[in-house]
Amino acid sequence: MDLTWTPEERAFREEVRTFVKEKLPADLQAKAFSHHRLKRDDYLRWHRLLSDQGWGAPSWPKAFGGTGWNALQRLIFEIECFKGGAPRLVPFGLSMIGPVLIKYGTQAQKDHFLPRIIRMDDWWCQGYSEPGSGSDLASLKTTAVRAEGHYVINGQKTWTTLAHHADWMFCLARTDSSVKAQRGISMILIDMKQPGVTVRPIKTLDGGSEVNEVWLENVQAPLENLVGEENNGWTYAKFLLGHERSELAILKSLAERTMASGDSLSLDSRVRDSINRIEAQVLALEMMVLRVAADESSEPGPKASILKIRGSELQMELARLQMQVAGPDALPYDPEWMFAESDFHGPGAAYSPAAGAGYFDMRKTAIYGGTNEVQKGIIAKQIIGV
Amino acid sequence: MDFAYSEEQRMLTDSLRRLMADRWTYAQRRARQAAGVLDQGAWSNLVELGVAGLLVPEAYGGFGESPATMLAVHQELGRGLVSEPAISSAVMAVTLLSHCDNETIKQRWLTAHAEGEAVLAIAWQQEGERYALRPLGTRATAVSEGFSLDGRKVLVWHAAGSQALIVSAVLDGEMALFVVRTDASGVKIADYPTFDGSRASTVILDRVVVSKEDLIAKGGQAQDLLALALDFGVTAMCAHASGAMQYLTEITIQYLKTRKQFGQPLAAFQVLQHRLSDMLTQQEMGLSMTYVATMGLAETEAATRSRLVSMAKVEVAAAARFVGETAVQLHGGMGVTDEFEVGDYFKRLTATEFMLGDTNFHLQRMQDLGN
Repeated sequence: MDLTWTPEERAFREEVRTFVKEKLPADLQAKAFSHHRLKRDDYLRWHRLLSDQGWGAPSWPKAFGGTGWNALQRLIFEIECFKGGAPRLVPFGLSMIGPVLIKYGTQAQKDHFLPRIIRMDDWWCQGYSEPGSGSDLASLKTTAVRAEGHYVINGQKTWTTLAHHADWMFCLARTDSSVKAQRGISMILIDMKQPGVTVRPIKTLDGGSEVNEVWLENVQAPLENLVGEENNGWTYAKFLLGHERSELAILKSLAERTMASGDSLSLDSRVRDSINRIEAQVLALEMMVLRVAADESSEPGPKASILKIRGSELQMELARLQMQVAGPDALPYDPEWMFAESDFHGPGAAYSPAAGAGYFDMRKTAIYGGTNEVQKGIIAKQIIGV
Repeated sequence: MDFAYSEEQRMLTDSLRRLMADRWTYAQRRARQAAGVLDQGAWSNLVELGVAGLLVPEAYGGFGESPATMLAVHQELGRGLVSEPAISSAVMAVTLLSHCDNETIKQRWLTAHAEGEAVLAIAWQQEGERYALRPLGTRATAVSEGFSLDGRKVLVWHAAGSQALIVSAVLDGEMALFVVRTDASGVKIADYPTFDGSRASTVILDRVVVSKEDLIAKGGQAQDLLALALDFGVTAMCAHASGAMQYLTEITIQYLKTRKQFGQPLAAFQVLQHRLSDMLTQQEMGLSMTYVATMGLAETEAATRSRLVSMAKVEVAAAARFVGETAVQLHGGMGVTDEFEVGDYFKRLTATEFMLGDTNFHLQRMQDLGN
């Protein structure tokens, strides 16, 4: 065991840091540091800068147009990008459907979709949750029926993050109702720009609307848009959920930003203690991420669930502490103030309204990607072996 | 000690609960919030049931009710998530004025308040001063007509919609309290929504001239009045939070009984049953501390009173946070949308921490006031 960063790792960190400093547009950085909402084009601009640098797919193998970085390099990259105020990489293509296509996709699917994900020519969204099927994905009701060379898909999806930006959806649908619930599910790639697709925003607690309901009414997809073998979608879904959990765990940068923006004017020792404490907890989580990341052979298992639970707990606590630091100034809130061009006129610093909004919004992290109760059940099953 | 409601208290709380069910539904509350101004009809409904006159002494046309009745009333208002100025005006401003010695002000404003013709707001917080009670930065100087006021107050709860403000200011090096009409020349009110569906304002006072009769009190007496108003306000807010917690627990139980996952109602999962039990435990502890605060209001020693009230605020805010966060978690995805009332209750319960002094403020006050 060697718990020091190598010279190569240090040099890599410097390279990324310099790139972010030089290339990240100032308006994007300003939005990140004041918690203003990002537009579709904001994500695209940053993504294309990375793509021009050859860094469009940090976590993919070189053979598929990725960087070929190892897990530690990827982590260093993410931390430096966050620290510098860069937008997060939109995960739906790069982290979700991309790796699935690399592992299970046909050659034609790989040739067509993978380069477009790297350039972000397509914006993807995830069609999993349904109104009656939240934590219990195996109970989903959307159907895909074969007819004349294509699938006809009908159903309703919900909690679909950024679906209003999406060109494509990777959708779980029931292709066989005669077998055990989770065996009859397949993953199908659906073009969102066609009749029968309706997207309606859902307003969340922070007054924002990043998630949507999506109706699919007699929507068509060619048979070749089935991913992997028909009726094996359940396996892929579990694989993806493991990834989403790991993504959640990258938190340190957020912690540092919270502390940098803290109003030290009237902080007493009670608040300072909480901030020192969470700094330690974030470090513990970060080391846990490093340990998991360095062990590339292992499948997402109990450790992924631990990262998801702890990651969400710390994210919620960080948001709460930020609100605590803002104190009375966190009370005034108009959702309009979350945009860069807003006419903010509450008391206190411009970040104050975002403190309350962040606290309300972060409650979702204990719910999405499998609630923390479901995660604890997964851990218990694996360690007890039942 | 007797915890049972009197006949009158039961009739009053029954009427309020019916009123809440009729006029404070989710849709009606949301519509009033969107309008962004004090709804006179809704306020009249509360006035008719005696909310505005509840604490006004009988000599000024009110009911002169006890803190115990206040607890019972504000618990119902909390169940209905009332966003009208029932605490800021009917409890805090009324308490402050009822205990002052200025007979002119009492005749003028308490009577109007009991009749529903005047709403008042207390402007006591300063920008960047968190919850400090000292009015640093707001100055009063004697002029020939009376006094001239200058300064900037923030987070003045329900300033818009009020006819008058009770303003704290420094006069001759000590605290003084004044009544300032909101339509007086030099008063500027910048109104904004708060995250819990209520409203507050930044109030700018630019050479606002008031008469000599508008001085409520100064020095130690002004400080005592403001502390008393704060203690009554905090206690009413604890009652409000207790009522909101009760209602939120009820709808969460209903949700767990009806929502099915993995082939059975969520209520069948032991891990969720335990969280409901924890919610109820916190809610009952919170209500018990609200009783402690209410008893405390009768203390003759101000320090003893304030210390009991601060203890209650700390505990009720913690309970409110637990119950709110847990209700959202148990509602799952539904809980994090802005389309169900669980979110509204969660936000109001969150505001319990940030209104009228946060936990750190009240822990410090407990420390300062000793044992």
